[in-house]
Amino acid sequence: MLPVEANRETMSRIDLPQGTLDLLILCTLSLEPQHGWGISERVQQMSSEVLCIQQGSLYPALHRLERRGLIRARWGASENNRRARYYELTKAGRKQLETETGLWKQLTVAVNQVLGEA
Amino acid sequence: MLGDLLFRLRAFFRAESMDAGLDEELQFHLDRQLEKYIQAGHSPEEARRRVRLDFGGATQITEECRQARGTHALEALRQDLRYGFRTLRKNSGFSCVALLTLALAIGANTAIFSVVYSALLRPLPYADPDHLIVLNETHPRIGTISVSYPNFLDWRAQNHVFSGMAVMASVGHNLSGIAQPETISGQAVSSNFLSLIGVHPLFGRDFDPSEDKPGATPAVMLTYPLWQSHFAGRQDVIGRSVSLDGRGFTIIAVLPPNFRTTEAVSVLEPLGVWLTNNNGPIERANRLDTGALGRLAGGITLERARAEMVGIAARLAEAYPEANDQFGIALQPIRELFVGDIRSTILVLFIAVMFVLLIACANVANLFLMRAAGRTREIALRVAIGATGGRIIQQMLVESFIVAGFGGILGLALAFAGMRAMTSLIPAAAMSANGAGVNGAVLLFALGATALSAIAFGLAPAMQSVRTGAHSRLTESGKSSTGGVRQNRKRTMLVVAELALSVILLTGAGLMVKSVSRLMAVDPGFRTDHLLRLNMGLTSSQYPDNTAVRAFWRRLLDEVRALPAVESAALGTHVPLTNSHGRSDITVEGMPLPAPGSFPHPDDHSVSPGYLRTLGVRLLRGRDFTDADSETAPKVALVNARLARGLFPGQDPVGKRFFNGRPDPARKPVWITIVGVVDDTRMYGLANPSRLEIYFPLAQATPDEMDLIVRSRIHPAALTSSIRAVTASIDRNQPISAVSTMNELVQNSVGNRRVTLILLGVFSALALVLAGIGIYGVISYSVAQRTREIGIRMALGAGRQDVIRMILVQGARIASAGLIIGIVAAFGLTRYLEKLLFSVSPTDAPTFAMVALVLALVALLACYIPARRTLRVDPMTALRYE
Repeated sequence: MLPVEANRETMSRIDLPQGTLDLLILCTLSLEPQHGWGISERVQQMSSEVLCIQQGSLYPALHRLERRGLIRARWGASENNRRARYYELTKAGRKQLETETGLWKQLTVAVNQVLGEA
Repeated sequence: MLGDLLFRLRAFFRAESMDAGLDEELQFHLDRQLEKYIQAGHSPEEARRRVRLDFGGATQITEECRQARGTHALEALRQDLRYGFRTLRKNSGFSCVALLTLALAIGANTAIFSVVYSALLRPLPYADPDHLIVLNETHPRIGTISVSYPNFLDWRAQNHVFSGMAVMASVGHNLSGIAQPETISGQAVSSNFLSLIGVHPLFGRDFDPSEDKPGATPAVMLTYPLWQSHFAGRQDVIGRSVSLDGRGFTIIAVLPPNFRTTEAVSVLEPLGVWLTNNNGPIERANRLDTGALGRLAGGITLERARAEMVGIAARLAEAYPEANDQFGIALQPIRELFVGDIRSTILVLFIAVMFVLLIACANVANLFLMRAAGRTREIALRVAIGATGGRIIQQMLVESFIVAGFGGILGLALAFAGMRAMTSLIPAAAMSANGAGVNGAVLLFALGATALSAIAFGLAPAMQSVRTGAHSRLTESGKSSTGGVRQNRKRTMLVVAELALSVILLTGAGLMVKSVSRLMAVDPGFRTDHLLRLNMGLTSSQYPDNTAVRAFWRRLLDEVRALPAVESAALGTHVPLTNSHGRSDITVEGMPLPAPGSFPHPDDHSVSPGYLRTLGVRLLRGRDFTDADSETAPKVALVNARLARGLFPGQDPVGKRFFNGRPDPARKPVWITIVGVVDDTRMYGLANPSRLEIYFPLAQATPDEMDLIVRSRIHPAALTSSIRAVTASIDRNQPISAVSTMNELVQNSVGNRRVTLILLGVFSALALVLAGIGIYGVISYSVAQRTREIGIRMALGAGRQDVIRMILVQGARIASAGLIIGIVAAFGLTRYLEKLLFSVSPTDAPTFAMVALVLALVALLACYIPARRTLRVDPMTALRYE
């Protein structure tokens, strides 16, 4: 069903492992408050176009994080002067980001060691 | 956790604006993406296509966001509620029937529960009330009676099972110095009474131990209602004086609003004051209106206490045979005293009203089942587009909760109205101080009943609809599927259960009708119509001697007899059915002397001439009293037939002699000659046998408290004001109390049974109507379902009579199943009514037969109406049905 080009495009990208989306969102927001589209753009840029966040998972994730009190949202004016919903880290979110980053580094080091030995 | 919940709730209640926000947010994203693609050099069309691809289903994202926000479950509930309201409004006929049925049942249940709660469950206003024990004396011939004061003192001194014991003596006072003098009742109590029951005065001081001795200064505690009604709730009443029987009593305290003691009182006074005014309590053989209360010591059970007290009573009986021969002791927890014989009435009514609720639930369940059958397609559609079984059950239950909820609210309103009617039927003494009413416990009960009934009638139809919904295909009508047959069977079973429960209720009501009608047919031994009774007590201070007392009574009688519309008037000490009585031993001339506790112990009356004629008691032998039976004339008496039979079997009692009391060498007996025999009266209620009775002429035994009875040519209550005026003209400070017509007294004496009769009657009528509707519903539904079959039968030559018979046979089968089950159950259950029945066996065959007949007729009628509808079936239409 899907057009071939689209297939080719997605092939070059990596599906996000479970749980990393939250980490990426928190990390992006730790720089500055950002709206949803901005977050996905920023992740895509910073990962040199490798990571691509599907809108279908981005917005539910944002609402989930908001419910957990890690981020909060407010309406603001965008770069082109439109009303946009900006998200920013809360105190709890900043703490969560530190913990998760630590855990992620431990995980990658461990996985790399295993892979390196293999 | 809390934050999460708050967020969800906020999200739920602001769902509309949040959804709008979400749409805007997504639109913004979409637009930015579009711009990005266009800037990258794609044509606008191509850019839009890519955006659509990236984005996927917008609704899906919205739904997932909602889920992420955690409002999903609440959202579903809101949808179900909205949908439920809509479907219920659309089927307004169905909803009204279901709602009214439930409202009636929940209302009746709540009203009865409020009585159950206030009479049986509500905590008593005492500290640790379970350890408070009421003590009475007992005698094999008399039953439970009051306590002799010297015996009480010995009990208190000798027992080791009570941590404290108090004594309460009933007193009555004329309260004067106010606009209209009135009689109030009170209790003289020992100084430890309030601390024993754990009550503190609202303000003022408690009694002091020094006030237990004769010679105590007259002091009084006011109950809260008296303080409110007569002293306007003023705080400065303490230290003021109130005139009781023309004597000044100092007000020392006001009791709390919820205070109640073993009887209805307006004042408490120190025991010492009572002892000062009475010589009676000193005599061990005197059992005045006195009760005792004990608090069980730590770790002592009621059985242990009873064993010890019975031992003490036995020792006292041996030590003082003259006073105590054959006297024993009875102990009962204080709650039993308050509940008394009303417990069985209340429990019977509560069970009856539960049955009504069950029947109502069965009926509503039936309605829901019937409707679920008509909604098979709708359910199948919902299952097809992805609704889960749980979701469908939830939606069905939401509908039943809506119906039950409104039924509960309406029921509560009905209960309010019903409670007022009921409290006027049920004796107030059984209720707690505040009476039955709506309170937290009652509301909780109503809520519970509502929720349980919603589940009871909602769950089965909900499960049913999921099953049929899952199995039937969209194209199928679902009406002739096998599921329908199974559903029909379920509905039939529900109706059978309804009928069975109705049979039980009807049988109970039938037995009560028979009991009460038999009771009312009992010959009381006197005429109850056109008779007014009033009570008057003369206070010793204003009427110091017999001459003054007699003068008052004589003048009162003369003036009342002169009133227009008065046919006759008389005075007597103890009018039947008023629970007032006096008894003493007698010694008959020439009889072998029995043990001290076995002397004849008749009720005695002191009556004016004309008493028997006014009351309508028949004279069987000899003569009535006349004015010639004066103070100086030879002492005479009348006896009743029972005493004549018992003490003078086979002889003519007229001319026989006796004296009051037992032989006493220190006293010369005063012989009294029997001059006549009168018919027995039912002194103690129509259901109770008459006792031995003796009447003395008023001039020869002059009490200062009497009942005035007046036989009138008009409605007796209309005489009250003129009698009050006459009394006031003789003595402005003389109160009149206990005004009632004899018919009212008769009604009161059958009170419990009458309440049971009325309420059981109402409940069983309700049950009958509901069961009738139930069977009607099932038959008419089945007729509607079988229209095609009926059409075929008629096309093949079946007559209309055959078709009607076929329908009626179906109904008769259901009815007889319900009838048989119900009669068997009633046979086992009616014995719980036994206490309330009067000369009717709990398994009275005619009553059972009557119930069966009534129910069969109702069932027949309920089937005949839908059966007749088949007459209108046109075979051609029927064949084309669907």
